[in-house]
Amino acid sequence: MSILEIKDLEKHDEHTIVFPSFSLEVSESEVVAIHTSTNARTSLLKLFMGEIPISNGEILVNKKNVKLSKRDFFFEVGFFCLDDELYERLSVKDNYSFFQKLYGSELSIDEVLRIVQLETKRNVRISKLSNSEKRRALFGRLLIQNPALFVFEEPDQNIDLETKRVFLKMVRELKQKGKAVLVLTSNMESALSITDQVYRLDDIGLHALDVRSEDETSNEETTGSQEEVLAQENEEEIIIQPVRFEKIPTKVNDKIVLFDPPEIDYIESSEGQSNIYIKGEMYPSVFTMTELENRLHPYGFFRCHRSYIVNLQKVREVVTWTRNSFTLVLGDAKKSSIPLSKTKMAELKTMLGLK
Amino acid sequence: MIFSIKRSFAIFQKDYKDVSKNLYVTVSVLMPLALAALWGMDGIDNINIHYMLFNMTLCMVAAYVQCCLIAEEKEKNTLRGLMLSPASTMDILVGKSLLSFIATFIILVACAFLQDYKPENLLVISLAMALSTIFYIGLGTVLGLVTKSVMEASVIILPFIGFFSFGSFLTVLAESFPILKVTEYLPNLQLIEIANKVHSGASLSDVWFNLAVIFASIVVIFAIAIVVFRKRMMD
Repeated sequence: MSILEIKDLEKHDEHTIVFPSFSLEVSESEVVAIHTSTNARTSLLKLFMGEIPISNGEILVNKKNVKLSKRDFFFEVGFFCLDDELYERLSVKDNYSFFQKLYGSELSIDEVLRIVQLETKRNVRISKLSNSEKRRALFGRLLIQNPALFVFEEPDQNIDLETKRVFLKMVRELKQKGKAVLVLTSNMESALSITDQVYRLDDIGLHALDVRSEDETSNEETTGSQEEVLAQENEEEIIIQPVRFEKIPTKVNDKIVLFDPPEIDYIESSEGQSNIYIKGEMYPSVFTMTELENRLHPYGFFRCHRSYIVNLQKVREVVTWTRNSFTLVLGDAKKSSIPLSKTKMAELKTMLGLK
Repeated sequence: MIFSIKRSFAIFQKDYKDVSKNLYVTVSVLMPLALAALWGMDGIDNINIHYMLFNMTLCMVAAYVQCCLIAEEKEKNTLRGLMLSPASTMDILVGKSLLSFIATFIILVACAFLQDYKPENLLVISLAMALSTIFYIGLGTVLGLVTKSVMEASVIILPFIGFFSFGSFLTVLAESFPILKVTEYLPNLQLIEIANKVHSGASLSDVWFNLAVIFASIVVIFAIAIVVFRKRMMD
């Protein structure tokens, strides 16, 4: 049964389209991330909270409409907004006991403190907590509220690794409990680290991103293997060159720019377009991910995710979030982080000569 | 709109803990007490002077505390959290007013004690005080809703403290400017009138008109509060 239903929702601001009409359903135990610009995100949240009236379409949570009854609606939805704050002069525990009474919640404060890992800070005033700890305390408020749908706005912006780990674990537990989670973010990497169901919302509309968990892809690969073999054969015929050409062409404003493979940091695929990242700049590539993977493999490139190829020479750290989710941190100036799928982890380990 | 005592009480409890740690507010709340102690030492026995202090207390405690409580929730974005919770607007306002009301009551009693003021008819005076407190809480709510931060709230309250505490001077001005006759119907002047009547031995039946005027101003201020609240929620 779907918990959240968004039907033909659209938003115009004067003459510009913030986002065109789209529909989305999120059911129990589903975690969905929407990758979107800050503009669209704030508008969407305001529509959700009933702060600006919905002119077209509707938002239903458990069949309850925000337009008809705000109270019933907010009973079902819990929000985490970036600018939310708690009562600064009160301790974490006092804040929680207030929310417990306010929401009439049965969840014990100790349990919440354990999940957000603030047990040692229970009697510390909110104003004395660090930014990341405040964020965790806010997550705790949502847990106390215990709604059917959790909406998070940029949950992992500006927080430390520990808090990110707590958040990912929390989302996984919510998923197990049958809650629906909606994450709004403008950071693709963070969206991918949270869930496999990523959508992009922009002025063209809502598109599902082609992210599949590895089990599904392996199935598809067996069925689609024949096609791939054919495709590869065709490629081989085309790529027969007299001199081995080692540069990767990219297109910038109708010019073709050639790059040495070692210059490349990583390659990201988005909406069927592979983009090459070099020193923080993005260059659209003319090749598909598979072609690039084949071309770059000899130079120490590694397909670490369905949507990412990384230059292993540039990888500085492999961060383990949980047993099944990993991130590669590059050594470039921006310290870019790239998701690593769990099945690729084993492959990477053998490549690195680890057991 | 469903009203829940449990939720209001939770808000009251939370605000109590919060305010007790808020030096900003506690210092201004204790100021009338200091003044009362000072005047009490001089042994002033003038109803107008007593009531200047009572009116100031009402303004500084009832209106200011209420104003700060609401302004701070707005400043820290916690009011939105409350609005998105099962607590209704009524729960929130009652919870907050309860704290201001109790604080005002304690300070008023303490002030009367320090100034050695003993009203002839305690029932009438308490009723008048209670009604006035509700009016000032309404005033604080309106001011809290129009301001954006505690800082703004503390500044905006100043002219009101001046206006309502030293309101007795308006009657002097009213003699030269007839248009100012209207000010006689202000709740602070009505309170002084009741006190003077009671001092000269009046009973409840003699002051019902003045009480009705205070009650009318309560209705007006809460109507304004509701209008402002609706408007703010639209933004």
